[in-house]
Amino acid sequence: MAVSAVVSTRPRNAALPGNPQTILVVEDEVLIRLVIAEYLRDCGYKVHEAAHADEAVLVLQSPDVTIDIVFSDVAMPGSMDGFGLARWIRANRPDIQVVLTSGIDRSAEVAGMLCEAGPMLAKPYEPQGVVDRIKLLRARADRA
Amino acid sequence: MNAAKITPLHPHLQPTLLVVEDDVITRFAVADELRAAGYKVLEASSAEEAIAILERLPVHLLFIDLHMPGAQSGLDVARVAQGCRPAPRIVLTSGKEPPDRAPEYQDLGPFIPKPYLMSRVIEIVRRSLDPTLD
Repeated sequence: MAVSAVVSTRPRNAALPGNPQTILVVEDEVLIRLVIAEYLRDCGYKVHEAAHADEAVLVLQSPDVTIDIVFSDVAMPGSMDGFGLARWIRANRPDIQVVLTSGIDRSAEVAGMLCEAGPMLAKPYEPQGVVDRIKLLRARADRA
Repeated sequence: MNAAKITPLHPHLQPTLLVVEDDVITRFAVADELRAAGYKVLEASSAEEAIAILERLPVHLLFIDLHMPGAQSGLDVARVAQGCRPAPRIVLTSGKEPPDRAPEYQDLGPFIPKPYLMSRVIEIVRRSLDPTLD
């Protein structure tokens, strides 16, 4: 239930050793989500999970949660898909980088939206490919 | 991506918990705290997601909100968990359930009313996984 229910005994998003980046994984297929989330955790990232874009927006609006990168599927149930989420982030949280993934063929319409939404990762993907993409994004950001 | 082709998670030494909570901020907070306490934590946002995980992956303890939207309830998930071999320990929570719990919940496991202190949750999880602490 939507009950603000947790009283923590430690600061939210407390800095972990090495100050890892925090990634929000947005994916409605739970078995895919947990595998990529766990892989990213094993790689040293701090990872949060959202089941769809509406949950992701709630997280990104929360003052208690810090997110550096959003890794999102495109096709999801709810009021917006991954492209809509990417646009919302660009408008409201431009400090956050977005990586999208999709099994959908790259139609011209989709390709046009890609430019706005950022790099696309095709499904099925290798988990290490996600890590490589995230590292590439961060390297570009650091150079900018 | 075909979920059936996913490589199973490699085994970890620490117990695996499944947190089932539809409120995303609450789920974040609970999962975060339990990971910090040393547990491997899987997250499900609905009863359907929880059942999909229980049917495919071993879980040592299920921490579940009894009241969630959707066709299936937390009680449905707990019954699926009871049928798993080995069956996970179960810890229940809710912001609605009165202290004098309904009979169908009483044998499932300890109940923690919302709002709760995370220190209390961690303590009950520890005791549920290791009854010798009692």
